[in-house]
Amino acid sequence: MTEQDIRERFFLTRDAAAMLAARTALVDHVVRERWAWMPQGIALAAVGGYGRSELFPCSDIDLLILTPGAGVSKKDDKVQQELKEPLAMLLRDLWDKGLRISQSVHTPQDCNQIDNTNAELSVSLIDRRFLAGDEALFRQVRDPRAELGKDIARLTKERHLEFQGTIYHLEPNVKDAPGGLRDVQVLRWLAKLGAGDEQNPPDTAVLFEVRCFLHYLAGRDDNRFTFDRQDEIAKLIGASSAEDLMRRYYRAVRGISRLANRRLERFEAKGSSLFSQFRDKTSRLSNSDFSVVRGEIFLRSARVIETDPGIVLRMFEFLAMHGLPLAGDTLDRLERAGGHFEQWAQMQSDLLAPFRRALGLPHAATALRALHECGALESIFPELREMEALVIRDFYHRYTVDEHTLVAITAALNLRGMKGDPFAELAAETQDFDLLAIALLFHDVGKGTPDEGHVDVSVRIAGPALRRVGISDRAWGIVEFLIAAHLELSAAMSGRDLSDTAVVRAIAERIGTVERLKLLTLLTWADISAVNPTAMTPWRRQLLWKLYMLLNAELTRELSTRMAPPETLGSPEMRAFLEGLPPRYLRIHSQAEVQEHLRLDGEVKDKGIAASLVRSEVWTLNVVADDRPFLFASAAAAISSFGLNILKAEAFSNARGRVIDTFAFADEHRTLDLNPGEVHQVVKTVIKAVRGEITMEQLLERRPKVKPDARVLAGARVAYNNEASPGSTLIELLTQDRPGLLCDIASVISKSGSNIEIVLVDTEAKKAIDVFYVTRGGAKLSDADAGELVEALTRVAIPA
Amino acid sequence: MKKIEAIIQPFKLEEVKEALKNIGIDGMTISEVRGHGRQKGHKEVYRGQEYNVDLLPKVRFDLVVPDVRLEEVVEAITNAARTGKIGDGKIFVYDVAEAIRIRNGDRGDAAV
Repeated sequence: MTEQDIRERFFLTRDAAAMLAARTALVDHVVRERWAWMPQGIALAAVGGYGRSELFPCSDIDLLILTPGAGVSKKDDKVQQELKEPLAMLLRDLWDKGLRISQSVHTPQDCNQIDNTNAELSVSLIDRRFLAGDEALFRQVRDPRAELGKDIARLTKERHLEFQGTIYHLEPNVKDAPGGLRDVQVLRWLAKLGAGDEQNPPDTAVLFEVRCFLHYLAGRDDNRFTFDRQDEIAKLIGASSAEDLMRRYYRAVRGISRLANRRLERFEAKGSSLFSQFRDKTSRLSNSDFSVVRGEIFLRSARVIETDPGIVLRMFEFLAMHGLPLAGDTLDRLERAGGHFEQWAQMQSDLLAPFRRALGLPHAATALRALHECGALESIFPELREMEALVIRDFYHRYTVDEHTLVAITAALNLRGMKGDPFAELAAETQDFDLLAIALLFHDVGKGTPDEGHVDVSVRIAGPALRRVGISDRAWGIVEFLIAAHLELSAAMSGRDLSDTAVVRAIAERIGTVERLKLLTLLTWADISAVNPTAMTPWRRQLLWKLYMLLNAELTRELSTRMAPPETLGSPEMRAFLEGLPPRYLRIHSQAEVQEHLRLDGEVKDKGIAASLVRSEVWTLNVVADDRPFLFASAAAAISSFGLNILKAEAFSNARGRVIDTFAFADEHRTLDLNPGEVHQVVKTVIKAVRGEITMEQLLERRPKVKPDARVLAGARVAYNNEASPGSTLIELLTQDRPGLLCDIASVISKSGSNIEIVLVDTEAKKAIDVFYVTRGGAKLSDADAGELVEALTRVAIPA
Repeated sequence: MKKIEAIIQPFKLEEVKEALKNIGIDGMTISEVRGHGRQKGHKEVYRGQEYNVDLLPKVRFDLVVPDVRLEEVVEAITNAARTGKIGDGKIFVYDVAEAIRIRNGDRGDAAV
């Protein structure tokens, strides 16, 4: 059979195994025939793919010529000398016959030595096969010892890193990429070295078939499965589309990759004493649900998923907390019980709360990927299957849609731990960060629906999915906005004249609030970063940051503008109440909250102040009062006196001089939940404090001391800005949060004779980020006055 | 032949590409670059911290055209890239000694 016959038969039958065997036999015949003229005392062996009898159409033919070794005896030296010329002729002849020979000449002693310098040779010898010559010499080559597994693990890890460690490349390399044919060999090698069985993972056939076609179509050893080749091969094998072929391909490589990674972990773990120490220490993390053995997570009970499906979510939290890998046994159990878990998950209406909790933990990205790998993520949100291994071809994207999504979430979540990066700083001070991850999870899910704009479809799919698991109206508002707007900043960066204030104002209006701007900026950063490893160039970073700064300045400036509600908006009382408030007031408060403020406003007429405490996702204290000195500071002091931690606070005033203060706070010790009577007590204390019936000193005398944290205080600063607002001076503070901080700051401002017009207070990860709009005598502060105020605030807010 | 190097505002990329396409110019190299001319850099303040923005993002077009098309191409780029504001960019024109198409060895105007 000739090479041409083999090719024709393959195109007819698509039988890759038969093709590989036939070509190997053909080459064996040619090589053996030519070897007949070689001198005695040496041996010829096939190694690598040729040694395995898996010779792809254009693969190199790896030959090992074994010689007895120089300097051992005079006879051996003679053999060496006599070998040179015939060997050169042999190789020339084989090249002339069209065979791409890759040869090496070694002694059995060379082959039996394993060290770092010849690991590749040792690996190739695992598949050695005697071809011709001195068989006794060939038998002197021993099987590699199990420690070669460590070298295989190292080489494999290095190779995977060249492909960013993911199988989901849009144009993958079928040989070298993770999960490719090289990993199939890795599994076989490890099996020969005593790790696992030698069985092939299921469905490797597609890889063999595709690689044969790739070689024949390119006429060379080219293993890149490009878009053009995907189209050609899909037609050749009768697949309904290139996308279908690729889904089959990704399913196969996913199975291979998982098995290979599992086996490799065992070898990586061996031999490192540091790793052993760490691994042994992690066993202390075991709890009633999970045991940690040799650094891997096991389920304590064999059939627990069937009896207690909620354990999967607890496992997600456990993973997100500790970042340890799931044991192979755990993965198998999860996969086997997948249907049961999915049935259960579809009946639950409150899955989002534990899901969001896990997203706030240090190893959330690793945990989310593990959840995806075992299919549990798709059991919670079956809608995500729309984008599983989905190929959307474009010039820039390197990954399938599901992988792009996971890379984007990983980029965003990991941003929080980075230092000295403006986007990382932004991430550290952004609330609702978990909602950013949820928005990213669904932002491209609409790409699975062809012929429609994917943004609208993604919103349409995400809504019911997230409602089913119990997302609140407020959280859905944020997620919906982020998905719907996820391309807007990218589009503005590259297609809009940002020096045009009208353009910036229009984008800012669409975004609405600084909080949303921060989330959208981070989402855009993550989305671009996940397109390919080099997509987020310094050039794009700078454009995005510039856009953020412009929009932030625009939204800050807008706070000073006053609303004039149209005649059509609500009742006359409502319009009178809203008049003079900044547009932000309506953007951040729901209709129910505005109604509550209006109700309190009615009470103020008689009492001068009214307050209420409302429980939603967090507790919110509403205070409406006629403006008076120390109003904001007193209310803040009253809340702090109950040990309640203020997360967010805002203060606005309307045209009638009525002040609306809102404080959102966490009740970490559940004092209010467990003692409903305290709710009334908090409200009463706030009113008394504002009226001056209790002093702030009395309220705060028992507040706990907080130790200064150098990491949080590293970027602490107080600054003023007289440019950002037309009518007020902005005082911006970034410092470590502590009980009573807000009250202290507000007191300093009030004592300086300044009036607090607007307050925006955020607390995130021990950091307080406060912005005060202040005036003195109805105007901005002079630079000298503002400087003095900054100094006074620095003394109070930043420990020396 | 002339080589045209145009540095323009990033948001004008698509407009300039379209303008060149409309006059039958398809071959071009586009790069993301950073720099400044007389516009220089500036300082931006964010949360009380000053950021020096000395190199601004721009887009660079490189293309080679026959001598007879030079004015037409320069006009197309200028019209598409102009906003009338500082920072619109610059166009530089160079003489090209030779152009060779690697695939088939075509030379001169035939290669561009």
